[in-house]
Amino acid sequence: MKIWQRSLILLLLPSSALLTTALHQPQDPRPAPYHFTKIDASGGPLPIWSGPWSCVCDHRSGLLWEVKTDSENIHDGLWTYSWYDNSWADVPDNDQFTAQPAAHRGAPTTIGTPNNGDCYFEEERCDTADLIRRTREEKLCGVQDWRLPTAAELQTLIYTDAKAGQPTIDTAFFPKTKRGDYWTSEQDESLQTVYNYLKSGAVAVSFVDGQPITIPHRNAAFVRLVSDNSKSCH
Amino acid sequence: MAADRKSLRWVLLHGIAAIAVLCSLLTGLRIASLARPEVARFEELLPQGEVVGLHFLSALAITLAAALYVGHRLLTAFRDGATLSYRLRSLSAWRWPGWHRAIIRAGYPVLLLSLASGWLLFIGTQWHLRDWHYLGALAMLCYLALHAGLYLARWGRHSLLRICLPQGGQRSHTRLLAGAGTLALTLLLFTTGWIATVDQSQLPLPVTQIPLTDPQHPPIEIDGRANEPQWQRAAPITVYTDGGANFDDGATEITLRALTNGEEFFLSARWQDATRSLVHLPLLKTANGWEVQQQGFHHFDETRHYEDKFAVLLSSNCSFGAAGTAHLGRKPLSDRPANWHGKGYHYSSDGQLHDLWHWKAVRTNDMYLADDNFIGPPDQMRPGERRYTAGYQQDGKESGAYVMNWQWYKPTTIVPKRLPADPMQLAALQNDDRENLREKAEWVIPWFDYQPYSAAQDARFPEGTRMPSVMYNSNRFEGDRADVRARGEWKDGYWNLEMARKRVTGSALDAPIAEGTCLWVSAFDRSQIAHTRHTRALRLQFSAEPLQ
Repeated sequence: MKIWQRSLILLLLPSSALLTTALHQPQDPRPAPYHFTKIDASGGPLPIWSGPWSCVCDHRSGLLWEVKTDSENIHDGLWTYSWYDNSWADVPDNDQFTAQPAAHRGAPTTIGTPNNGDCYFEEERCDTADLIRRTREEKLCGVQDWRLPTAAELQTLIYTDAKAGQPTIDTAFFPKTKRGDYWTSEQDESLQTVYNYLKSGAVAVSFVDGQPITIPHRNAAFVRLVSDNSKSCH
Repeated sequence: MAADRKSLRWVLLHGIAAIAVLCSLLTGLRIASLARPEVARFEELLPQGEVVGLHFLSALAITLAAALYVGHRLLTAFRDGATLSYRLRSLSAWRWPGWHRAIIRAGYPVLLLSLASGWLLFIGTQWHLRDWHYLGALAMLCYLALHAGLYLARWGRHSLLRICLPQGGQRSHTRLLAGAGTLALTLLLFTTGWIATVDQSQLPLPVTQIPLTDPQHPPIEIDGRANEPQWQRAAPITVYTDGGANFDDGATEITLRALTNGEEFFLSARWQDATRSLVHLPLLKTANGWEVQQQGFHHFDETRHYEDKFAVLLSSNCSFGAAGTAHLGRKPLSDRPANWHGKGYHYSSDGQLHDLWHWKAVRTNDMYLADDNFIGPPDQMRPGERRYTAGYQQDGKESGAYVMNWQWYKPTTIVPKRLPADPMQLAALQNDDRENLREKAEWVIPWFDYQPYSAAQDARFPEGTRMPSVMYNSNRFEGDRADVRARGEWKDGYWNLEMARKRVTGSALDAPIAEGTCLWVSAFDRSQIAHTRHTRALRLQFSAEPLQ
């Protein structure tokens, strides 16, 4: 190889490398696929780094979850609720055309303690039935069948790799979650220790340690509603 | 050319020098890319990770190689009996030495400039030598291109053989022994030099002991004034920090004083900052809606619409590069996300936790706190979080915080979380006078002074309305994150900051403060991540007896 050829190569190689690097814009980070999808208030999916969002679809379980806010609306994460179910209150026991299960006939038409939590959106204080009713009326994320989750359903959200001091949930998808107890639909469970005299209560899942705990209906705990029949998630 | 082989000694010395110069140049340019956008353009050619220590290691190798070379030349001159008069006569009979020699000789002052400016920067002189050091690096880059380029152009691969393969032939045992001895001595010198550089380079920061209870003086109040008599007893130390954004050429001197009453550790910091920057990502009402005023926040590197800040890193580890936590580059961890700004991450490679106190002139100052953070191992990937911060994390808190006044950040328009009940509440912020905006107006929103956003209320705010974005939803953190009390006051072009924390908090996320704890400080002038820095750690030295 002649000198001029080597010179040309030596000039061109580093020059082109420098020019290419200078002209090349590094790509911005991109999100990785994940099993949660953000859903907006009308039920439409959002890109993973977009917002604001009102619900989260978990593609592992097919469940659509309510997302808490700090906007002082009915979904504010600070509000607490006593456990209360009045869903059978308007259904006569002898009505053969309702969906009331035979096992329930003759049972009390309301269960739990009404209006013993703290919120701004009710004239009286709040209970779980209030949030369910209001969320159904609102058709949050296009869904009407909002309900309390079972303990097993709620525990699918437990995230053991939470950052220091944060609740055991993926706060990037579920912000405004408190390190506290969240009600489930499971009730008529025996109360233990200091609550023993109250006989039975409902199950809540702690987002401190992820474990279920039975507490009196009258207690003020947090709530995250769920739907298992949403279009957004199926 | 092939026959013109060099000695083994020359090959070794040249090889070490070449590798060290290349390493120093590339790591140095990576460090420079933090503050020099023109270098950052070539970031993909530069090494990533823990380059700061490597830069000093290679600088030591070059220094040693240069010293050996000078020694060798002096020895040769002495052996050849060259006298000064002979040298002077040679100078008078000077003739053009040829391109190769001319370039090599031009490299000597370049090397001298780079080494001298580098070591003076390392020592921490007040001279502004950063530009000279950078100039030396660019000149060295040219030197390498010309020196290596001309040899390669003229002799091609033979020139590579020449620098890699020593001349053959039999060597006497004596010469081999002498060579091995020289090599061993060189390695010993290098190792000793490196250990001395690492272990002895810290600057002592005296921590003056004061009585836990002093009937003569009231306790120290964390008010940003440091005017209690106890502070007069603390010996000040001033460190030159540079490489930040804004300030005067990105640099400021920080004067520190430290006290302890046995239970608590007090730190006073004073640094020059011509402007008191409190306008933190303000919101501006436009024809399209509310916009966040920013020019780099979208990439997490805002340098204009941001508050002033100050950070203190404390660790039992005194390694270079902020206890070895500074890992530069866009993606220093191959299995973790890249960062948005290309500058790097802080994290520990060995699992150790390092304490980080982060005072923020708007977000924490009115809480009389610094944000108690830590730097630990790189966090796992969290797909929902747009910003990955590696080892930089916050201590846990029970409640209380600041939140930003937008429902969701977008670079276009945002919807505020809350609005003032009366637009007149924002009247003081509409004055365009810079001094008023930066230094007098109130830029923190107490949560209950505003009400939840509604479109009807929004319509009452005309285009051009300016609104703060930082909201306190309680007056302080509670829990681990509130361990560091802090208050800063800006006066006459200086920030004065007082900080206090228990020496041992009992939290696993806090470093105990003890004899030998190392400390680094950084100032931020209306910048999000572009902070000033210093090379040598400050090592705490506790006085034995309390001063009465």
